[in-house]
Amino acid sequence: MNVVRKIGQLILVLFFITFGVTLLMRLLPGDAAGTLFPYGTPEELDQVRALLGTDKNVFAYYFDWLWNFLHGDLGYYFAATFGDTVKVTSMLAQTAPRTLLIMVYTMTFSIFVSVPLGVFLGYKSGSRTDKVISNSLFTISSVPNFASGLFLSYFVAMTLNLVNPTGYVPLTENVGEHFKSVVLPVVSLSISLIAGFTRLLRSDVISTLREDFVTMASSKGLSNRWILFRHVLRPSSLTLLTIAAINIGALIGGAVIIETIFGLNGVGMFLVSSIAGRQYLAVQSLVALTAIVFVTANVLVDLLYSVLDPRVRVQHGAKK
Amino acid sequence: MVLKNKPLGFKLSTAWLSLCVLMATLGWMLPLPKWNSSDADALGVTMFSKGHILGTDNWGIDQLSAMIHGTRISLGIAVVSVVLGAFLGAFLGVMAGYTRGWIDAIISMYFNVTLAFPTLVLLLALVAIFASPDPFNPGTTLPRMVVLTFAITFVLIPFLGRLARAATVSWAGRDFVLVAKSLGLKRRTILMQHIVPNVLPSLISLSFLAAGYIIILEGGLSILGAGGEPGSSWGSLLARNRGDIDLTPHTTFIPVVAIALTVMAFNYFGEYLRTSIDNRDSRI
Repeated sequence: MNVVRKIGQLILVLFFITFGVTLLMRLLPGDAAGTLFPYGTPEELDQVRALLGTDKNVFAYYFDWLWNFLHGDLGYYFAATFGDTVKVTSMLAQTAPRTLLIMVYTMTFSIFVSVPLGVFLGYKSGSRTDKVISNSLFTISSVPNFASGLFLSYFVAMTLNLVNPTGYVPLTENVGEHFKSVVLPVVSLSISLIAGFTRLLRSDVISTLREDFVTMASSKGLSNRWILFRHVLRPSSLTLLTIAAINIGALIGGAVIIETIFGLNGVGMFLVSSIAGRQYLAVQSLVALTAIVFVTANVLVDLLYSVLDPRVRVQHGAKK
Repeated sequence: MVLKNKPLGFKLSTAWLSLCVLMATLGWMLPLPKWNSSDADALGVTMFSKGHILGTDNWGIDQLSAMIHGTRISLGIAVVSVVLGAFLGAFLGVMAGYTRGWIDAIISMYFNVTLAFPTLVLLLALVAIFASPDPFNPGTTLPRMVVLTFAITFVLIPFLGRLARAATVSWAGRDFVLVAKSLGLKRRTILMQHIVPNVLPSLISLSFLAAGYIIILEGGLSILGAGGEPGSSWGSLLARNRGDIDLTPHTTFIPVVAIALTVMAFNYFGEYLRTSIDNRDSRI
């Protein structure tokens, strides 16, 4: 029942977001077709209006778009000359893998660094090492990702010439060059995530270490490492999962900026150029996709909770 | 001194923010070139050169002057939108949390819909839509800064309002509120004397974090080309100078460092207030 209600809410939220975008764009003064093609002939402009759907009223436009969207037709991206118009889906086929790979790398890298670090700091809490590292992590977590991106791009790419400052090499083309082209964007996106994850995991580990079952495990004579990773990390992973889901939004926003700084030509840059160029259909479809990814991630985390935390599962089953 | 027994971070944050406030309010009195006038005899000079302490960019614009002017705009946007956002967010959040029912449903929908979307992308769309000039009616556009401030306030209200709502819900269930109700106090009195004073501390601590976040957002939006007039704020200064990072790196890093320090200071205050509120709660 809870799941059904959640999904109902989710659909309502998605409807409001997409319809809100429609309203905003349709409320703008001026003719979109004329903005896209200032020098287009009247026949061409009529054709563009038909493609855009601006010859219809707001509701017809919205439901037409929704119908097409649900059938996998995301509309058109208009190039400078009318003949070069491409489908949004073909633009996405080119840009989406880059952004998705970067996000997957960033999440994986951040979790791989912060889990051992967080557990270690929680275990050593109050020690000198812990104080120094924790305080520096707090400072690092306030550094905006474009700042770390610019620093890395200047010092690592331009001064030391270790990697190219801009550009992207697909994985299928050259594996080594691919990783060289994504390492700086991934690191600059990860820095603040790692700081946030580690800080959270640390405080979580500290509170779990006070639980009775940890005392019990250690009096059974289990090794510290076993206790930390088998008994302490499992309940703490819930917090980590939640914060990872919350950060997906920040990650999407961060990816937009980092893609621009490193010239990666991903979905973020596609979205930015669509918004700037008043590409109604592209903006509408991309906004809907982003919202779906973001909202679905949050719901998935809610569901994963019950898998990870037996207590939640029992409460659902036993109907307390 | 107030600062005597405070931790080092507190002193540093206070020092930096005081400097920023001084630059923003009294900076115009300094005998410096104007923030947008160029000195043809000193193009792209490095930091600590004669007459230009922070150097100039490739157009010969004095970076200290540009940075001081940027402080006024960046902090101005942050302060105005945080104050507006906290006020409106607290109002909506407390109303929603105290009255519940359909008012709560509508306000919560606004909060959820706005929060269900990456802030930066939403802001970018709002700024592009409201600030992009209409080619057939030039001159009807609102000034960029006004659009930017209101767009930021619009996304800030749910951010702060959600906290106000949650805090109100939990405080409204306490016994002293029940007592106040059964004494027949007016709703207005209960809200202003019993709910708001309890909600306020955590709201203020979140407002500090929000102020830092706004400084970052302004920088990000500028990089994406949706900031203010080129070179007028920290973000737009950074966005303009970024293209010359290989020739005059200091012009990029001055605004970057200013942004980072300010965000750190705001976050520090936010965190400091949060932990002191936690301590107060645990003492009760």
